[in-house]
Order: sequence, then C-alpha cells, then structure tokens
Amino acid sequence: MRWLRFLIGLLIALTLHSLLDSFFPNALAFFNPYVILVVYYSMGGNLVGAIFAGIAAGLVQDAYSMSIFGLHAFALTVCAYAVAYVNSRLMLRGTLAFGACLVGAVIVNELVIFVLVNILLRQRIEMFEQGMVVKTIFTCLFGMLVYQLLTLFLREEPIEATRRPAGW
Amino acid sequence: MAVSADVVPRRPTLLFIVVLGLLFVLMSLSSRTRYIGETRTMFERTVMTLFSPVPKLVNWVGRSASDTYHGYLDMRRAVNENLQLHREVAKLTTENLQLRQSEGDLKRLRSLLGYAEQLSTPTTMAYAIMLDTSGRFKSMILDRGSAAGIDVNDAVVNANGLIGRVVMTTKDMAKVQLLTDNNAAVGVLLERTRRQGILRGDGIGAAQLYDVPSLADVAPGDVVLTAGIDGIYPKGIPIGNVVKADKGADLFKHIVVKPSVDFGAIEEVIVLHTRKIPHDVVRYAP
Repeated sequence: MRWLRFLIGLLIALTLHSLLDSFFPNALAFFNPYVILVVYYSMGGNLVGAIFAGIAAGLVQDAYSMSIFGLHAFALTVCAYAVAYVNSRLMLRGTLAFGACLVGAVIVNELVIFVLVNILLRQRIEMFEQGMVVKTIFTCLFGMLVYQLLTLFLREEPIEATRRPAGW
Repeated sequence: MAVSADVVPRRPTLLFIVVLGLLFVLMSLSSRTRYIGETRTMFERTVMTLFSPVPKLVNWVGRSASDTYHGYLDMRRAVNENLQLHREVAKLTTENLQLRQSEGDLKRLRSLLGYAEQLSTPTTMAYAIMLDTSGRFKSMILDRGSAAGIDVNDAVVNANGLIGRVVMTTKDMAKVQLLTDNNAAVGVLLERTRRQGILRGDGIGAAQLYDVPSLADVAPGDVVLTAGIDGIYPKGIPIGNVVKADKGADLFKHIVVKPSVDFGAIEEVIVLHTRKIPHDVVRYAP
C-alpha cells in the first residue's frame, strides 16, 4: 500500500515536473516536487524503503532533466535516509514537523548537488544561496499544503509509521 | 552460521553506502559519456521509456487544453469581429441610405432649378413641412412665408407641375391650397385643342374639368395646362392628363383629369410670385 502511494506520488511529481517544464520553464529552479514525495515517504521511518524511494524518485528526476544521470538520485537518497533516520528516532508527525523535515531535506539536497557538481563537473552553480532559499521556501510551503490536504482527505495521519526495530 | 544480532540494524546503513557508491559510479559514467557525445546512457533511456507515458500524457493534455483555449479565444474574437462587422454594415447601410437620399434630393433640386429657370416670374424655393391630403380640405404648409416675399395667391409648383396656390401667410410660413382641394379652381386649357375650361378639385386626389362643351374634341391622354385667365396662375404650367372624357348629362362633357403632381410625395416646391390683378380692376364694371 505504501509503495502504491509512493508510485502514485511519483507519477504526480513527474506530471508536475512535465507541466512546469511545459508552461513555466524556470519554475523547477524554485520548487522540487520530488523532495516532497521522498520526505513524505521517508517520514514513515523505514530506512530501506526510504533509500529505494530516494533512488526511484531521483532517477526519474534525472531522466527528465538535463543533469548528470544519478545526481538527483544521489542527493535524494541522502535526504531520504536522513529524514528516515531522524524519524525512526523521533517519530515526527504533523504539518509543522513535515515542513521542518522539508526545510532540512531541501537544504541537504541542494548542498549535496552543489558538492557533486563541483566535484564531477568542476563547475560553480550560479546564485546557489539565493536559489536554495527560494526553493526551500516554496517547496516547504507547497509540501505543507499538500500534507494538510492529505490529512483532511484521508481523515487520519497520512504517514504510516514503521515500527522501529529493536536495537535502533 | 547465524548472523550476529548487531549486524541486522546496520544493514540499511550498509545498503545506503553501497547505493551511494553505485550512484556515484553511475554519475561518473554519465558525466564521462556526455563529453563523448552520447548524452543518454542505456539505463537512463530505460527509465525514460518506463515513465514516458506521463510526459506524453501531460503534453497531450496541455496541448489539447491550449488548443481548446485558443479555439475559444479565436471564437470569441470571431464573435466580436462579427458584431463589429454587423455594426459596420449597419453604419454603412445608413450612410448608403443617406447618400441615396442626398442623390435623390440632388436630382429633384436640379430638375426644380431647371424648371424655375424657365419661368419668367420671380420665384422662391420652399420646403413642404406639413401636408394634409387625408381630409376633405387638401392643404400644405411651407417653411417660408411673407418674409421671403411669399404672398397670398402666389402659385406653387414643382418640376412635375402645378400644386396649388398660397391662401395664407405668416412671417415664416405659408399655407397652400392644393389643386385637389374641393374648393380649388383653375382656368385651364387643353394643349392639343386649346379648348379652355375650369378645373376643380374633387377632394379625393383628382380633378374634374368643367365648362367644356359636349361637342369639343377631348380625349384621354390630352395634356391640361393652366390657361392664365384666372389672374392667379401664369399660363402654360402643366396640370395633368385627361383620363376620362364622357358625354355629360347636359351640354358639357364630364372630364376627369389626373394631376401630374404626386401630392403624397411633395418635398421641395417653387413659389411663383405672380403679378396680381388689383382688386379694383377685378371689381370694376363698366
């Protein structure tokens, strides 16, 4: 069920990606739907699932963007793992917590991409700081709105928590 | 051999590290193939193919929505353009009517002017502003009066012929008794035979010619002109044509004359300032 939700979320994210690419070509510089999806999935606290969610979402994003293939997959996997790790310990729930996770995830995502681009392509990303701030704000706001809508629509906490294994 | 208990929780971390390593390798390969012109790896192409229906669907929906929207806009534009063209057509039709009206006016005025130039008496041009041909008493009001030199008993004509005479004037208006009025009478003659008679209006749009002997030569189609013997109308103004000439009950013929003027369509007229016979001369009896 969780994977089905993830798949649907991935298709929606890709749809948003295509729509924004078609009608507002620069919009993806300010907003990342894949991060929202990955954070939403990772907040369940399942580390393995989060890793695969990050890989899947990242590869799809890579396939439809002109970056190095695997770049976003790498960054999103790191985000997913970090969020899942934190949630396996703290069990964060609610729209505000989701927003906080999104802020952290977007920043980590952007930093990882910045480092990888520097290492692999030896290029600097123009206006990196400003882009990161704007992307964090918009992605966080949109993500929180989606989370709130999901809460209203499902009439329950949208994140299904994974029982933390003994010893963690 | 059993797996030790502390290895299990570390598996995700190991998996994470392995995945990151693999992704790094993938990125390295991808960044290298870019420099040799092969922009997409096979793996990348596979992922794209797998998810390709989504962008295609989005593109199709977007294009359809855009086409629909633009179609709607085009339709709105066409509707607005149509409305505008309708207004333009209405405006041009009105202009056309006005021009035709002006052309008609011009023709009438030209013929009237030409006719006025043939007359030896002084004339004044006037417009009929009120026409009463429906009642028994046929009359017409002109827009000019004594200030323009119009006087009682002045003859009123247009290019087609005699209309009547002025019976009353104010400073800026004049009332005209039409030829077809029941009390109107004109001394006339038949152009062909020069036979004279008295023409009276019948009050219903035509006139009758009296005092023509039953032996006189009168035939339908004969042209009737003013005889100039009544002291009001100058000689030779066309009045109409004989449409009926029967042998009357007594010594005179019963002749019906159709006026050449269309009394239902009078617009501009010429008032002839005729020479009046002094009242004393008229009443003098030797």
